[in-house]
Amino acid sequence: MPTLVRKSLGEYRRALIGWTVGLCAFLTMYISIYAGFMDDPETFSAQAVAKYPGAFRDLMGGMSDIATGRGYLQAVAYQLLGPLLFTMCAAILGNRAIAGPEENKTLELTLTLPIDRRRLLLERWAALALGLLIVALVTLAVATVAASAADMNVPFGKILAAHTGLFLLVLFFGTLTLCVGAASGRRQVALAVTGVWGVAGYIVETMGRNVDAISWLRWISPSHYYLDGRPLYEGWPYGDYLVLLGATAVLLMTALLAFERRDVGV
Amino acid sequence: MTAVVETEGLTKFYGARRGLEDLTLEIRPGEVFGYLGPNGAGKTTTIRLLLDVIRPTSGRATVFGADTRDPRVRARIGYLPGELALEGRERARDYLQFLADVRGGVSRGRIDDLAERLDADLSVRMGELSKGNKQKVGLIQAFMHEPDLLILDEPTGGLDPLVQQEFLAMVREARTAGRTILMSSHVLAEVEHVADRVGIVRAGRLVAVEDIAALRERAVRHVELHFDAPVPAESFQGLPGVRDVVVQGASLRCTIDGRPDALIKAAARYTVVHLVSAEPDLEEIFLTYYSEEEGRHAHAGA
Repeated sequence: MPTLVRKSLGEYRRALIGWTVGLCAFLTMYISIYAGFMDDPETFSAQAVAKYPGAFRDLMGGMSDIATGRGYLQAVAYQLLGPLLFTMCAAILGNRAIAGPEENKTLELTLTLPIDRRRLLLERWAALALGLLIVALVTLAVATVAASAADMNVPFGKILAAHTGLFLLVLFFGTLTLCVGAASGRRQVALAVTGVWGVAGYIVETMGRNVDAISWLRWISPSHYYLDGRPLYEGWPYGDYLVLLGATAVLLMTALLAFERRDVGV
Repeated sequence: MTAVVETEGLTKFYGARRGLEDLTLEIRPGEVFGYLGPNGAGKTTTIRLLLDVIRPTSGRATVFGADTRDPRVRARIGYLPGELALEGRERARDYLQFLADVRGGVSRGRIDDLAERLDADLSVRMGELSKGNKQKVGLIQAFMHEPDLLILDEPTGGLDPLVQQEFLAMVREARTAGRTILMSSHVLAEVEHVADRVGIVRAGRLVAVEDIAALRERAVRHVELHFDAPVPAESFQGLPGVRDVVVQGASLRCTIDGRPDALIKAAARYTVVHLVSAEPDLEEIFLTYYSEEEGRHAHAGA
């Protein structure tokens, strides 16, 4: 493994362990209470769900079949909270690639090593992608085991498809944070851009899908390419995932070009 | 021989603020170049331009004949930043090892030798290093791969006097080994004992480059001579480079610019019992330099 990738992963280690533990705890807890709901069918009956405000149901992805294992898994793990937590992890790590070290001034010495800037950024990004992949793999295992322990009857293939989408979504947001950080050198700017794009994109995709005035905006929402194909139900939405991957590649290229020509630390 | 560092019209503006303007400078192989100026004069800007951390607004700079953009050049440079930041939970030794690996390795035991010389504790986590220890770690990483060019930005800040002596010894050894050193400071005293030449930068402009030896030679010196008998004042009138001559009986006081040769030869005709010559204060010469330069600029501007 290239020295700088190894070094960066070492720097991320504590954060990676923390986020993995947190995400796994979240998944196990939420999935395991599914059994409790099933014992009391009233909670999620069609009439009960209908009492929730429409906007809330939209926000939670419809909730139409939340009484089934698949619907519950989608609503609690893959719809909002899972992506939200995992995206926060990606944004924090993405900021530690360039903007963080630049703000605390440790980047200067790294830049004076005999490595060109492109390689520096690529290796930092590779460490970010690897780190997120590790978190994704561990959480995938935990989600699969917890879902089968709770008798949710969701085939592994569908969980894998949804989890892959989740990974691609957070990789996109992690790369976005890294890119804005590499271009501006400021952590707060990178976090703000990622937060606004993420939240606005999610709202447009869920609550806005029935609002004609904004529904056309869905195509620039990263969540659209993650949620619209309903991977937990339909399996792999290849086209959508390719869009996420392509957008990530574009962001990475942008980061390389922007970082290459910038004054660092002034 | 080609210059180690060469800049031509090197200029850097941060927006409208001038960082450095029109710097043309040559640093020769094997010399110790002292780069002097008050804080904010453009020393760090120059150094960052040479290391390609920032990019020039105009002009160009080469190091070892190659454009500063070429990352391979940096393998031959050891750099100590002026504001060295070391953060995190990593131990200093592991960080040094990482830097060594990226630079292509350092000889066995080199890091420990340097740590011992500077009395640095490398088992401490980087975020917990004291200011002095940080500077020591910075010096170790700059020297450890035995680079052909050392760029040291305010190297002695935070070091206690004993360690400063050790550091100056390291600089001298590096020069003996034929390496080139660019060392910045805001006081002349810090570099005058090791530097061969000094450049003075002020408000983003290089105002003078001088040989330390020539500067010493040009220095104004106060001299006092005592003879065994009264001497005639006329014998000391009109000597080249000798002024403010005051003869009082058997003693003479004067000021000499540059070489004392003419005075010594004139005095040799009498019996000298005592001679006092104060070591020239280079700092004073520099201040004169500054004010002359400024006077000229002001004059040109008027």
